[in-house]
Amino acid sequence: MPTLYRLHRAALYAAVFGIAAVSTASAEEIIIGAATAQTGGLAPYDQPALAGLRMALDELNAKGGLAGKYTVKLVIKDTRSDTAQTATVAQELIDAGAKIMITPCDADPSISVGQLTQPLGIPTLTLCGSAPVLTAAVGDVMFGTYPADNVQATAVADFAIAEGKKKVFLLTSPDSTYTANLPEYFGKVFEKKSGAIAGRGTYTMGQPDFSAEITNIKGLADQPDLIMTAAYEPDFPAFIQQLRGAGVTIPVYGADAIGTPTVKGLGKLVDGVVYTAAGYAEPGSKLEAFNAAFTKYAGHAPESTYEVNGYEIGLILDQAVKTAGSDDPKAIRDAIAGLKDFDGITGKITYAGTDRMPLRPVALMRYEGGEGKYIQTMIPDAADVPAP
Amino acid sequence: MIAQQIINAVSLGGVYALLALGLAIVFSIVGLINFAHGELMTLSGYALLACLVFGLPFPLAVLVAVSCGALAAVAMERVAFRPMRGASVTSLLLTSFAVSSLLKVVFQNGISARPQAVAMPGWMTGAFSFGDFTIGVGPSISIVVSALALIALELFLRRTVTGTAMRAAAEDFNVVRLMGIPASRIIATAFLLSGLLAGLAAMLWVAQRASVDPLMGFTPVLKAFIAAVVGGLGSLPGAVAGGFLLGIIEVLLQATLPGAVAPYRDAIVLSGVIAVLLIRPQGLIPAVRAQRS
Repeated sequence: MPTLYRLHRAALYAAVFGIAAVSTASAEEIIIGAATAQTGGLAPYDQPALAGLRMALDELNAKGGLAGKYTVKLVIKDTRSDTAQTATVAQELIDAGAKIMITPCDADPSISVGQLTQPLGIPTLTLCGSAPVLTAAVGDVMFGTYPADNVQATAVADFAIAEGKKKVFLLTSPDSTYTANLPEYFGKVFEKKSGAIAGRGTYTMGQPDFSAEITNIKGLADQPDLIMTAAYEPDFPAFIQQLRGAGVTIPVYGADAIGTPTVKGLGKLVDGVVYTAAGYAEPGSKLEAFNAAFTKYAGHAPESTYEVNGYEIGLILDQAVKTAGSDDPKAIRDAIAGLKDFDGITGKITYAGTDRMPLRPVALMRYEGGEGKYIQTMIPDAADVPAP
Repeated sequence: MIAQQIINAVSLGGVYALLALGLAIVFSIVGLINFAHGELMTLSGYALLACLVFGLPFPLAVLVAVSCGALAAVAMERVAFRPMRGASVTSLLLTSFAVSSLLKVVFQNGISARPQAVAMPGWMTGAFSFGDFTIGVGPSISIVVSALALIALELFLRRTVTGTAMRAAAEDFNVVRLMGIPASRIIATAFLLSGLLAGLAAMLWVAQRASVDPLMGFTPVLKAFIAAVVGGLGSLPGAVAGGFLLGIIEVLLQATLPGAVAPYRDAIVLSGVIAVLLIRPQGLIPAVRAQRS
């Protein structure tokens, strides 16, 4: 049976190369495990973020590694955007000796990794997972890096109120923490600041058809002047295509997950859509310099601010190892948790005093004529930010 | 508003019907549920995107994209399924899963894991008012295209020799071969038709979703499978009926379910499917003869 024989041989090769890929580290090496999605629905978010992290680590390695003495060996394994697979590869990375763990841009797989790293005290950082419940769900080893959902939602709500918006329709999906909670955080802030919730609707991720939901919006006696959603691609393009196709012109606001080339590529369809980013490259800013350096490094310009966020993770780790003075995971964890006003690329990043979701600025952006136009950067008042 | 929801339901049902028909045509002849049917859609979607990027006029781009779907289906049969001819149903099923996974990975690594925006012409996002309610151009096109495709297919199957042979093959393949009709031609035609339907469905799908991504074929093929099973596996009228029924149930539930129950929509739809199958185990309109390869 030649076919079967070939299969066996393939399996053998895979096993051999698999072992080769996870060979143990030498004395001055520190292994960072990256359980991230190279395929599947999270890949468009994980890949840019990982590219940024890789750039930071390459630069640091050229200068001797983390804190100038621990050469980083980044071991990357594909999670296929599947939560169970994420836990499997995380275990493999732990077995390979990872002292720091990087997890996908979503709460659920990140929590599955955290459950493995928490008992071992391995500091675990999500690339751009932004659900504020994420860190509490795991414990003290889990760190967010991107502006948290409740912070982003507060920034967008503050902006909508300042614009004079009065009634919002919230479109959520129970399928992920991000799509379920972010619009609700927005609703909380919006109501507190004298706005009203005109209605709520839900969708299933991957749902082909939004027509029924859109007809419901059109049928509301009390018409909203804003639709807030955390839907992202491919659901967001589908929703807005069908919304505009049904003749509804109510503005739609979202958050960071629609700050992507795909949504930008929708052109006139997304005119007026407000979203958030981790920063904005003003002329002369550090972010502008980063974007130029990244373009040189990767051969293409950054797609979003996920790249710079990934890069900043590298800087945070470098600083943490410096403070810890060793490669002991627990010391590194403590050092990250104590970080205060750390000078990143996008602004100051603080972990001290938070529940390990960083305090950092949020940039508000708006699509106009196929371009993302900068509105303003803000750090929302901590008192306004709703509890996770 | 009720009229509006009915239009929504028919529009979605039409797309599901096209998809289910694509599965049913192949199943009726070779007894294979082609789970790579969704990837034919993805391929057509990327073909449309490529044509538009290269500046082809929109109608021509659509034409090329649909043909790509059809040709890819024939190629798929030639490369993956012909060597498996005569194999068990399970082997065929696994082959189709393999083809599907392979294509997904090729799309992800070869093109991009990120969905690509497809800029539909402006008039497609327009809407026209009709008395009290507005009808979107998109859903109208969906309904018209589905109806035309169903009529054209029916004419092909009823009025041409190949069509007649295909209907006969669905009932008893061996007798058709004894009549001197080459099996390969019938099977290739079945795949060609299913590819055409996948291409058309892809155009309607992309028009409504404004982007193509490597995984976009998964949901439609799942819906098509459900529709085809509800309608009666291997039965073409059944596939159409199943498609419309599924579309109508989905839209009505989405429109009427209160917020607290809405997340259970898919569970309710699938429970409905089970209920239909309990009452009519062979589907709504059973195939004349169940075919096994």
